[in-house]
Amino acid sequence: MIKINRPRIYSKYEINSIVFYWTMLLLMPIVLVFTYVFDTFTNNSDVRVYLLILVGVTVLITIIGTIFLLIKRDKLKRMVKATYVQEFYYLVIISIFGILGLVVLYKYLGGRPEYIASILVLSLLLFAYVLLNLGRKYFNLNYGRKK
Amino acid sequence: MKKRQISDESLNRIIKYLAIVILGFGIILLAIQFSDFWNWILRAIKSVIIPISLAYFSALIIFPLIKYLEKKGVGPRGFSLGLVFVLTVGLIFAAFYFLTPLIVNEIKNFFIDDYPVIVDYINNDLRNEFLFGADLYDKIIAYVNETNLIADTVDSFVPKLITSLTNMLLPLLTAFALLPILLIFYLNDYEVIAERMRSIIPSKHEKNVAELSSRLNQTVGAYLRGQLILMVVLGSVATIAYKLIGLKYYFFFGFLVGVTNIIPYFGMLIAAVPPIVYTFIATSGPGPLLVLLVNVAMQFIEGNIFQPLIMSHQLSLHPIVIIISILFFGSLFGAIGVIFASPIAASIKVIYRFFTDLKKEKLKNSTTEATSS
Repeated sequence: MIKINRPRIYSKYEINSIVFYWTMLLLMPIVLVFTYVFDTFTNNSDVRVYLLILVGVTVLITIIGTIFLLIKRDKLKRMVKATYVQEFYYLVIISIFGILGLVVLYKYLGGRPEYIASILVLSLLLFAYVLLNLGRKYFNLNYGRKK
Repeated sequence: MKKRQISDESLNRIIKYLAIVILGFGIILLAIQFSDFWNWILRAIKSVIIPISLAYFSALIIFPLIKYLEKKGVGPRGFSLGLVFVLTVGLIFAAFYFLTPLIVNEIKNFFIDDYPVIVDYINNDLRNEFLFGADLYDKIIAYVNETNLIADTVDSFVPKLITSLTNMLLPLLTAFALLPILLIFYLNDYEVIAERMRSIIPSKHEKNVAELSSRLNQTVGAYLRGQLILMVVLGSVATIAYKLIGLKYYFFFGFLVGVTNIIPYFGMLIAAVPPIVYTFIATSGPGPLLVLLVNVAMQFIEGNIFQPLIMSHQLSLHPIVIIISILFFGSLFGAIGVIFASPIAASIKVIYRFFTDLKKEKLKNSTTEATSS
């Protein structure tokens, strides 16, 4: 039998799941990054309480979102697009804020400032690798390909 | 040797083109005789074109949102339009309300804290640190004082700057004041206006014009929306990154990155200059190399990740095309011309592609007709 090397096209259910859980994973750093820019916190105890609240809110939104996804599952499974450029674009944007947020989180948790650049570069490389693979496998975007 | 005969058809075509060229020269010659009159007409056209184009480009950004709301059952048009309008105005107002005091504060702090230090540095320390030696520095200062160079330059430059600013600001303010009104009417009767425009066009060209306008709306609309998101995202990322590396006035410099990003590729380069210059002069904070590194990283992300994502391969413009369009439309329409140079260039590219596609299709049709007969 001849095997056709055609990429599998995933339904909106799979794509929305990836986008949703990715957002939830980065929700805390993203919120932190904006609180950092606007100098919301002045002392350390505030930050720890706020982090705990943020974790709680993230878990709650994840549970609600998961239930919502499961309810809409059949409908979303029937929806298919050839490529998911917009969704991938969104994923890249929140990842960039997420990476900066991870550095802020590190700073808030009392990390040493001289390692910030290394953490930034490492997380950037890690995210780039994961996003490239996600894009190729699920979003049908072969980003590394030459024009 | 046998001479090649020109067919009647070719001869007719040559005569037709020659007549058009001669007539064109005649019209230009006639127009030159009445240049004041034409300038008057052109000024009137320019004052109409600027607000209309602004409304058209804004409608391309907003209209898909109205369509989306209507698809979800939020209607009639007046209601969905009102909702989107209130949301947009609210968003712009909130951005101004929260960000303006922060940026104004930073500018104020710069003039209180850093400006005297910079002036002091130029007057005293720069002499000792001058790259080509203190002697040359003294000679330059003596020459500047002798020739009154700075005072003369300021005297000639300031009035010119004020005139060009007033010339630029007035049409800009008029266009922005008219924009909400134009936009409401345009978006409310979007389809009706499109239909009326189509009815003006001769029926044999109607199909092509409809196809071209739909392509223009789709591609240029996507380009503008993408560019707007990019401005917000890169402005925010720059602000956060500048704060993380400890740069003072991070809101102002970040805002600069966002605003200048209206010019693709080059905006980031322009925005990188002030913070780098500042870090050279500032006594505390990060070094210029770190700021340069942050800007290079952002430029890399913009050019290699965002630009290919927001612009399809068909719409991506070569940097040289962008420079040419900025220079050309900037000199034609001033500041608005610079802002809208790239969408105009993108529109021209879409029109060019449409006509080449049309030509290819015609050629294909004629060859299939020839083979079938």
